[in-house]
Amino acid sequence: MTDQALLLPQEEKQFSLAKDAFIRLVANRLAVVGMVLVVFLFFVAIFGPYLTPYDFLSQDLLARNKPPSWEHWFGTDDLGRDILSRVIYGSRTAVIVGFSTVSFSLVIGLFLGALGGYFGGKVDAFIVWLIDITMSIPSLLLVIVINVSLKPPLVNWMDAQFVATGNEFYRNTIWVDFVLVFGSLALIKWPKAARIIRGQILSIRNKNYVVAAEALGVPTSKIVRRYVIPNAIGPIIVYISAALGEAMVLESSFSFLGVGVRPPIPSWGNMISDGLRIWQLYPHVLAAPAAVLAVVTIAFSFLGDGLNDALNPRQWK
Amino acid sequence: MAKLLEVNNLHTRFKVRNGYLHAVNGVSFSLDKGEMLGVVGESGCGKSVSMMSLIRLLPPAAQITEGEVLLDGEDITHASVSRVNAIRGSKVGMIFQDPMTSLNPFMKIGDQLIEGIVYHKKITKADALQQAAKYLKMVGISNAEHRLNEYPHQLSGGMRQRVMIAMALLNEPSLVIADEPTTALDVTIQAQIVELVKSLREKLNMSIIWITHDLSLLAGMVDRIMVMYGGYVVEEAVLDDIYKSPLHPYTIGLLKSIPSLKTEAGSRLPSIPGAPPNLFSQPTGCPFAPRCTYRVDRCQSEVPALTAVPGETGERPHRVACWVDMRGKGVKQ
Ligand SMILES: Nc1ncnc2c1ncn2[C@@H]1O[C@H](COP(=O)(O)OP(=O)(O)OP(=O)(O)O)[C@@H](O)[C@H]1O
Ligand SMILES: [Mg+2]
Repeated sequence: MTDQALLLPQEEKQFSLAKDAFIRLVANRLAVVGMVLVVFLFFVAIFGPYLTPYDFLSQDLLARNKPPSWEHWFGTDDLGRDILSRVIYGSRTAVIVGFSTVSFSLVIGLFLGALGGYFGGKVDAFIVWLIDITMSIPSLLLVIVINVSLKPPLVNWMDAQFVATGNEFYRNTIWVDFVLVFGSLALIKWPKAARIIRGQILSIRNKNYVVAAEALGVPTSKIVRRYVIPNAIGPIIVYISAALGEAMVLESSFSFLGVGVRPPIPSWGNMISDGLRIWQLYPHVLAAPAAVLAVVTIAFSFLGDGLNDALNPRQWK
Repeated sequence: MAKLLEVNNLHTRFKVRNGYLHAVNGVSFSLDKGEMLGVVGESGCGKSVSMMSLIRLLPPAAQITEGEVLLDGEDITHASVSRVNAIRGSKVGMIFQDPMTSLNPFMKIGDQLIEGIVYHKKITKADALQQAAKYLKMVGISNAEHRLNEYPHQLSGGMRQRVMIAMALLNEPSLVIADEPTTALDVTIQAQIVELVKSLREKLNMSIIWITHDLSLLAGMVDRIMVMYGGYVVEEAVLDDIYKSPLHPYTIGLLKSIPSLKTEAGSRLPSIPGAPPNLFSQPTGCPFAPRCTYRVDRCQSEVPALTAVPGETGERPHRVACWVDMRGKGVKQ
């Protein structure tokens, strides 16, 4: 018997598990709507800025606050900038913040959660304590504190570097905004991921087949890779979907309050904030970013629900 | 015969909410190459924990506080984690009680079988699978190549236990620890598994530790029996000595409670009155004293040491931990 012959059917079986979940996901209409919208959002975030009709910064002071028209589908804002272009660029802001927040919180959460779940005892007690402490910190408060304490010195330092070296990299302080926002968000959002992976490990640790593998001298790292991660992958995917939506909404809220991404870089949040000042006169300035934010939020929650049902065998009918 | 395993004064305890649970309290025994030892005792007496302690296969709450385990003269108790992994993968095989849950439901039989040897022997997957098929045949599974590609739920309980046995043997271990491998199976399958292990033992010349709470199962199978009670070894001797002239009141009670063909229908089976000991505090006297009908004063104040007396059959000494001399019925000095 050859290796090949033994391998083939196995791969088929493993795919069929994922395929099963996919079939279930597709059968759920709301989940499909969510998925299409989310894919569209990613597409717009990646390619949109190259397809926009106008530069998101170019002002046309003769065409301020124009309602939607053929030239400007979503109208223009109070500086005569094309709102569609700014919403599109805002999606990039949201997606960048969303992805970086979620990936950083995942890395931290998976690492700490796995540590606690696997080693138990004092290590676990410490990590649970860390999770509790972190979850008790209000994210808004943390972001404001970081903004007023860390941001000014960092921006000043970058300015000084630019003056001293002339290096263009230091000129653009917008990255400070991004890094501080998603950095602080990641620091707050990791406990959820940590809890998921810790719970999975705790439940699987005592499974007889894990003990049997340990009895064969299979090392811990391999057991985690072959037994624990495959079991935890479903909940983690659901977590990622929910967390992405959540992080984007948070980015908007912070930008709305002026502690997130700041103008002139467009974010749905700071656009909503701008629109709010003049919405009685020019509702369209507020309408476009607010509607987009609402749609994206709903899309992620549909997708998250659908994934949860599709990936959890206990939900299978 | 040459010694394979030597266990000296092994203590294992669990950290629990308010203190410690003393599961193993000074277990000592040895095992020769090719020898088969039966370990008996009622549920919770520490059979599993003490044998798992041999290869440090314990949950995080457990700690070995004292003693040493020498396998081929090598101290396992104080070896590094990677060394213990290597020993588990090459010298010791484990067979567990519950074949239904000891196999990963998401993994093919073949993949699970070879997990250990691929890692430890650094052989290719194809070679390992060939090896696995050979052992599956040896444990009596027909159509072995095909079974390698199946998932655990496609096998019956008896077949799964055979797979577990093959898994333990695949490393070609010198010591196999079987923890109640037949408890979850029905009686006919039980007998088949016992026969299988007996024949494999002759074929492969391994040492086996067979844990059970069923004394009668060990007849005709093991060379020696070790009886445990409350985390202590209370008696240990060759099979015939235990069956024909048990020296510990607990063993005597155990033997009496085995139903035999002579037991009259409708009559009550004798049982040992009282409950198993509380393991949270360590006893000041013999752990069995509260339930013992032969109890004397000394039993409550001093823990009897496991001492050797000459065996009735053969060379091997008969070890027993009891203040009462059950042969002469006098109190020991
Ligand atoms: N993970 C654990 N945490 C705390 N105590 C434990 C743990 N595992 C076992 N114990 C305790 O250790 C003692 C010995 O248990 P062990 O499993 O060795 O019994 P056993 O003789 O194998 O019984 P059985 O015949 O039921 O398998 C018991 O009192 C048990 O409650
Ligand atoms: Mg047990």
